[in-house]
Amino acid sequence: MSDTTTVLIVGAGFAGLGTAIRLLQQGIDDFVILERAEEVGGTWRDNTYPGAACDIPSLLYSYAFEQNPNWSRAYSGGGEILDYIKTMVDKYSLSRFIRFGVNVTGLEFDDESALWTAQTGDGPEFKARIAVMASGPLANASLPNIRGLDTFLGHKIHSARWDHDYDMSDKRVAVVGTGASAVQIIPELVDTARSVKVFQRTPGWVLPRPDFSHPQWARATFRRVPLVQSAARQAWFWAHELMAVGMVWDTPVTTGIQLVAKANLRRQVSDGWLRRQLTPNFRAGCKRMLMSSDYYPALQRDNCKLVSWPIATLSPNGIRTADGIEHEVDCIVFATGFDVGCKAGTPFPIRGADGRELSDEWSQGAYAYKSVTVAGYPNLFFTFGPNSGPGHNSALVYMEAQINYIVRAIGAIIEDDLRTFEVREDRQNQYHGEVQRRLASTTWNSGCKSWYLTTDGYNGTMYPGFATQFVRALSEIDTGDYLTTPATTRSEHQTIEHARNGSKVAQIAQGRKSAGALPTRSDVKPDVLVVDVGDVPPKRAASRVRNDA
Amino acid sequence: MAFKYSDMLETIKDRQWALADIDWDAPGADKITDEQRPGLKQFMADVVWIEHVGARAFAAMAPKAPFEALGDIYRYFHAEEQRHANAELALMKRWGMLEEGEVPVPNKNIRLVIEWLDRYAEALPLTVIGAAIPALETALDGALLKFLLDEVQDPLCAEVFNKVNNDESRHLAVGFQVLNDLGASPMRIHTIQTLGALVDPRILAGGVLYVPLLTRMLANLNAMGLSEEKLYNAVMRYENVGGRSEFTRRVPGYHILKAHMSASIKRSQPLHYISQRLGTAIDYFPTEVLGKPPSWTEELTYEPVAK
Repeated sequence: MSDTTTVLIVGAGFAGLGTAIRLLQQGIDDFVILERAEEVGGTWRDNTYPGAACDIPSLLYSYAFEQNPNWSRAYSGGGEILDYIKTMVDKYSLSRFIRFGVNVTGLEFDDESALWTAQTGDGPEFKARIAVMASGPLANASLPNIRGLDTFLGHKIHSARWDHDYDMSDKRVAVVGTGASAVQIIPELVDTARSVKVFQRTPGWVLPRPDFSHPQWARATFRRVPLVQSAARQAWFWAHELMAVGMVWDTPVTTGIQLVAKANLRRQVSDGWLRRQLTPNFRAGCKRMLMSSDYYPALQRDNCKLVSWPIATLSPNGIRTADGIEHEVDCIVFATGFDVGCKAGTPFPIRGADGRELSDEWSQGAYAYKSVTVAGYPNLFFTFGPNSGPGHNSALVYMEAQINYIVRAIGAIIEDDLRTFEVREDRQNQYHGEVQRRLASTTWNSGCKSWYLTTDGYNGTMYPGFATQFVRALSEIDTGDYLTTPATTRSEHQTIEHARNGSKVAQIAQGRKSAGALPTRSDVKPDVLVVDVGDVPPKRAASRVRNDA
Repeated sequence: MAFKYSDMLETIKDRQWALADIDWDAPGADKITDEQRPGLKQFMADVVWIEHVGARAFAAMAPKAPFEALGDIYRYFHAEEQRHANAELALMKRWGMLEEGEVPVPNKNIRLVIEWLDRYAEALPLTVIGAAIPALETALDGALLKFLLDEVQDPLCAEVFNKVNNDESRHLAVGFQVLNDLGASPMRIHTIQTLGALVDPRILAGGVLYVPLLTRMLANLNAMGLSEEKLYNAVMRYENVGGRSEFTRRVPGYHILKAHMSASIKRSQPLHYISQRLGTAIDYFPTEVLGKPPSWTEELTYEPVAK
């Protein structure tokens, strides 16, 4: 493997490995995967806390092109999901492509060579024609901004960096946060720890999780008749898709979901005040829906207590709440989430054509074309990019659509020997403006504060629609959306028609100095003839919509 | 200068204190005389419970806050009132008024208020609680705390109530600001809300409990030696601060509460008579039929550290 490859993938989690498999299936094997850890698995390698599981059924939380008939239960645990990932790695011998322990610290596009360079701190540089960001939105654990965080002398554990050597059995444990990770950790902790205090800021809507084991005969059937498994997967998919009506959009169905969640609360919690403390004050779906059947019972165990007073400060011995009481604990578990990388800024500096910095452009909120490409950053693709998050369905369905789109684009770049492949800014703005307009009527933008939104309320995270819509939107590459330049420089205009999807034709300017042709850049004249572009919105149309939203 | 709720929220976060900040074993506990102790115990118990029900009222306000910063402020105020109750309980413990693990029993009037708050507090419009909270804080807290500082020679009492007073000054600042902001609503909204409140049986039931409670507390204060002039000054504060605001006077609830407090202090008839009779009736109410008090009343503690 040379230091310069056709494709460079950042991250060996679900997205990076899925991209690699699809590339191999397309006959492309000149790629490298850069992974900062020593193991594959991303989120599922990092999140090993007790009770870690996906809140989407495993049959659906897996790739359609790589289905696993052996899931032990409807909602498999993190360990089993990690095994599934490792099985894929073995099956496709992906380890040969992965450089472990390589932490990418910057990505830079060189206009002259039209190559992306990945800096890796003091390590070697990696160059490639195409770069795929698969670093994941939930890769960086974040401790909350709590006063006195450093003063606490006891043990601190973040849910995404679990300390398995720490024995909880005789410990007084505090759990800060009551989100998706916390509702999985707490039932496990009350079983092992001496006492558990749960510090809640905002309660979430909780629906029971219909978890059940997959009996042997079902697994055998899935193995022998894959169509049955596909049918089961489809059943889960459409059941979740139906939920979008209430969980994506703020509709009467949202109220119905709240009523179901309230009935669940009433059924599981008899004390009126505890119910009041656990009743959310926002529309269902606005924050991540919590799926748990054992969280409420765990809170009511004798060794567990819900503390809903605001945390005033951490002290050397514990947590002081605003009611003036110090809660003495041995260990604090922070189930407080992540620095979400996809809503604003970038995980490391990404410098595109003409030296533009993506973190500057995304500082007020991230945007992209179909979540995958960004104008000014040729040959760069994002998995789980801006506005690709689902609130109601499996993230892997969205991810798979992105991967297929990216791999198809990479195929076109290789097949047509393109030097650059870059989304048109007007198309990007048009798409983004539409996404932001549609987000206004969603539950996520209905007024609550969540990790989906930036501090000023901009939603650069979620996709406002059905998974079906997203998949369909990414099912084809419209070449009219992209500016391309061939690898060989010629002086005259040339028309390139991509045979793969000949619905639109892009006429592109050739022989310019800069490779990353972008009409709005100063060094490039807009000598581009475009067929079927439609109305071009003003630059930064998305920002305007954002303000309205 | 415009009032910034977000700045106030930061100030509140900056000024947090805990029971553990106070040396509960510091000298001075013996300044409470045996003569004082029985009366003071009942008096402190009422103070603790009034703080505690006040906390519950703030809890009801938080979800009604029209914007996030105010909701967060109310969450803190809910906790701070609880902190005051806990600190006052810790003073009682220090003064030898409580056995190990004991929490005083609320009087029947307060027990009924607890039950009423638990059932109906969430149903009250922000205007009603928004007007009532500053009224109670100026009248009761103002008078009670002033009285305690005058009567009790224990220096720790002054230290505790100095902290409590600082918190309360922020509660009042926000309370009056909210009242003022609510006042800016169109008069037709005030009219509709007030008429709605006056025919709402839940609110009327609350009034039936509140009116004798205020009379009872004022009578108790008076009986313990707090001069009527001080009581009157405390009540006048509500009127003065509200009167200086731009829009507060447009809130009918403000005028109703102001008039009621003034009448209570002056023992105006027939209100005083009715209020006293109501109080007597409440004393005969078999609170046992209410069953177990709501679990939020079990949150009170004098222990600075929960192990």
